[in-house]
Amino acid sequence: MTGLATDHYDWAGGREAMLRFGRPDWPTIVVAQPLFEEANRTRRLIVTVLRLLATEGIGGALPDLPGTGDSLVATVDARLEHWRSAFASACARVDVPVRILAIRGGTLVDAAARAPRFHFAPVSGADLVRDLLRARRAAALAAGDVVRADDPRAPGPPLQLAGNHIDRTLLKALMDAEPGTADRAYTLFPAPGSPHPTLAATTRVAVWRASEPGDDPALARSLADAILDWIRG
Amino acid sequence: MVPEGRTEVETTVRGVLADVLGLSRERVEAFEDATPLFGALPELDSMAVAGVLTELEDRLGILIEDDEIDGEMLETFGALVTFAAGKALV
Repeated sequence: MTGLATDHYDWAGGREAMLRFGRPDWPTIVVAQPLFEEANRTRRLIVTVLRLLATEGIGGALPDLPGTGDSLVATVDARLEHWRSAFASACARVDVPVRILAIRGGTLVDAAARAPRFHFAPVSGADLVRDLLRARRAAALAAGDVVRADDPRAPGPPLQLAGNHIDRTLLKALMDAEPGTADRAYTLFPAPGSPHPTLAATTRVAVWRASEPGDDPALARSLADAILDWIRG
Repeated sequence: MVPEGRTEVETTVRGVLADVLGLSRERVEAFEDATPLFGALPELDSMAVAGVLTELEDRLGILIEDDEIDGEMLETFGALVTFAAGKALV
């Protein structure tokens, strides 16, 4: 019984939707989702993890950030400081002991929330923006278009990156953003120089990058187990 | 560890394609130098290209400049390995 329900939270800029898993009186994990297209590609993984946690008596909350998901705010109006404040409001709305699971770009968003943090595959904002610019370059190459080298820090109109209309104010803020400290952090792949251990996963596919991420129950299980281990510490 | 030779780089490229694109090991092992990649592999869309290059940077300890990314280096498996080896084996 994973008790799926639709909830919401209010923040200074309005009201946003929030999916809830488990019972509202259970200790709850609030998820800071990856950003932009990566959020779509990881949605299945996140929901599967929250369902697994709910079978163990851990609640889950999946807030939309302003300008993402079902938000009424246009993507082009999204700002990093709004995301941080909204995410903190979402955590405050959950009226039970809260812990945070932040994935990829979500690790740039949880800074203002006061709760223990678990980071999975943290990434700097500069690397995220670089990925977006590269994806745009690859898309232009595929279409045979002229490849423009745009500096997102330069003044100008919003940029169309990986299917999102993104204001340069947000790109600039992201380029300066680093993940905060986490109580526990795992990466998916071993990388020279990474300060974090790799997740004990039986499968290692970068679901946030795969064009057909599909279902990865083994990865969801590994992530859920690592979170349970952290909570039960 | 930075790989010593082209074979090691080739193994790393195969591993990255499998991990980032979710391709089976069997499928990736069957890639030859002439196997077409970008535009031929549906899993390798523009987001995935960014992912493959970033992952190659991490695992090979190399840095790929954006203006080095062109259709040629992504065209075939062999071209991608040659590009990565040129960066990693300097």
